[in-house]
Amino acid sequence: MNKITLAKKIAFYIILVILWQTISMSDIWPNNIFPSPYEVGEDLAYMASDGSLFFGIGTTILRLIVGLAIAIAGGIVLGVLMARIETINQTIGSLVLGLQSIPSIAWVPLAILWFGLTDTGIIFVTAIGAMFAVTINTYTGIKNIDPHYVEAARNMGAKGTQLITSVLLPAAFPYMISGFKQGWAFAWRGVIGAELLFSFLGLGFLLNVGRQLNDVSQVIAIMLVIMLIGMAVDGFIFKKIENKVMSRWGLR
Amino acid sequence: MTKLETKGIVKFFKHDSHNLMALGGVDLEVEDGDFVCLVGPSGCGKSTFLRIIAGLEKPDEGEVIFDGKPVTTTGPERIMVFQEGALFPWLKVQDNVEFGLKMAGIPKEKRSQISKRYLDMMQLTKFADSFTFQLSTGMKQRVAIARALVMDPDVLLMDEPFAALDAQTRDLLLVEMQLIWEKTKKTILFVTHNVAEAAVLGTKVAVFSNRPSKIKKQIPVNFKRPRLAEDENLTGLQQEILAELRPEVKKSQ
Ligand SMILES: Nc1ncnc2c1ncn2[C@@H]1O[C@H](COP(=O)(O)OP(=O)(O)O)[C@@H](O)[C@H]1O
Ligand SMILES: [Mg+2]
Repeated sequence: MNKITLAKKIAFYIILVILWQTISMSDIWPNNIFPSPYEVGEDLAYMASDGSLFFGIGTTILRLIVGLAIAIAGGIVLGVLMARIETINQTIGSLVLGLQSIPSIAWVPLAILWFGLTDTGIIFVTAIGAMFAVTINTYTGIKNIDPHYVEAARNMGAKGTQLITSVLLPAAFPYMISGFKQGWAFAWRGVIGAELLFSFLGLGFLLNVGRQLNDVSQVIAIMLVIMLIGMAVDGFIFKKIENKVMSRWGLR
Repeated sequence: MTKLETKGIVKFFKHDSHNLMALGGVDLEVEDGDFVCLVGPSGCGKSTFLRIIAGLEKPDEGEVIFDGKPVTTTGPERIMVFQEGALFPWLKVQDNVEFGLKMAGIPKEKRSQISKRYLDMMQLTKFADSFTFQLSTGMKQRVAIARALVMDPDVLLMDEPFAALDAQTRDLLLVEMQLIWEKTKKTILFVTHNVAEAAVLGTKVAVFSNRPSKIKKQIPVNFKRPRLAEDENLTGLQQEILAELRPEVKKSQ
């Protein structure tokens, strides 16, 4: 990012906060409905000092990581099977497309009935919402591999699992990265949504507590945290990996 | 001694409604240590022919005989070098070169011993840790050749490996290719659409006819090496090849 873009961004956020402060100081809405940035900051500081914020973040991130890991592992296996075995593609493949269209949050009732109000239930929702994006991108990636890679590899003696792990998956990686990124986005929405409805620890739970206490500034504070974590993961982790992959694979 | 022989290779491809007969019975006999250059109109089936010899594609009729025995699958004794190199961008140069050895389960130390030799031969030692996107087209083709040589194949199947190179790099590689051939004593089948390239490299030039393709003419080449592309002695030979090739190219258009 160049300096001017950065300056524009900083200026924008400063203006946004000033505007927010001005509106909250005016008498349009009472403060318990529209708190000032200062109050939100105070709430954040309070939750940070008593540790509840970090415990919430930690819980949510842990669920996310476990759920996303399951989604990635399961998604890759399913995607490879679909790409390699036409019958699986024609049967399970069509179901995958259908399942992909179910919003993560719609799995919550089923997860509660199956697993109760447990971590397992939340992780289930997180994983199932993310998995099919990984599957579809892995499948597409393998189908789009330059056939010369596969021929060269076969010619040099690669076959079976070896061919999959040392050629098909790395060759499909640029697509798979998009799958992981989509998967992460679904998982992040899924885990927060599930925590809201399960109301069992985590950032989603803290949102719910804020609502029950009529504490608008806690709700906004937690939303800010959710947004910042999301931006950090997109902007740092995925952007870094994508840039590296794109240049190494000669795609830019 | 005959190293490789193809007998009546026929290959059809489905094109919408009809079957296209790409190869119409290709007979070729290659002696051990031959350097056979294959020329022919574009689309006549030269790549297909190499892929069939490599075992990457099955002929509809005919057979490939290697060391007296018919072959139907891929094998480490017949290794291809592709037009675009087909190097793996996720691997460093050295790991690209060692790929076949790794697939064969050869341990790391042994692999790097072997690859070192070929990295040296292709003047790639400095680039062992580079990724392919950091290499020029000429360097990539060197890696592709090293990657094939490491397998120590009896037969190298090269499909227009120099087509994408600029003239200077190509001239350099034409000389090096002759040295490699002399040093390694490989049997080489080399597809090219460049008549000068064929004249410089080959011990024999085989001209494909238009589809359904057969080998129309084989021309032995007996000039001493290393030959250079601008060698005046080769002009007559080039004319001879062109005279065979031109009518086929006309028919193909
Ligand atoms: N997989 C394929 N499916 C259909 N047609 C093919 C396939 N591969 C090659 N062909 C056709 O066979 C002919 C010969 O192709 P190719 O061997 O690539 O020719 P060359 O290498 O001599 O230019 C071409 O007309 C091409 O369109
Ligand atoms: Mg070709």
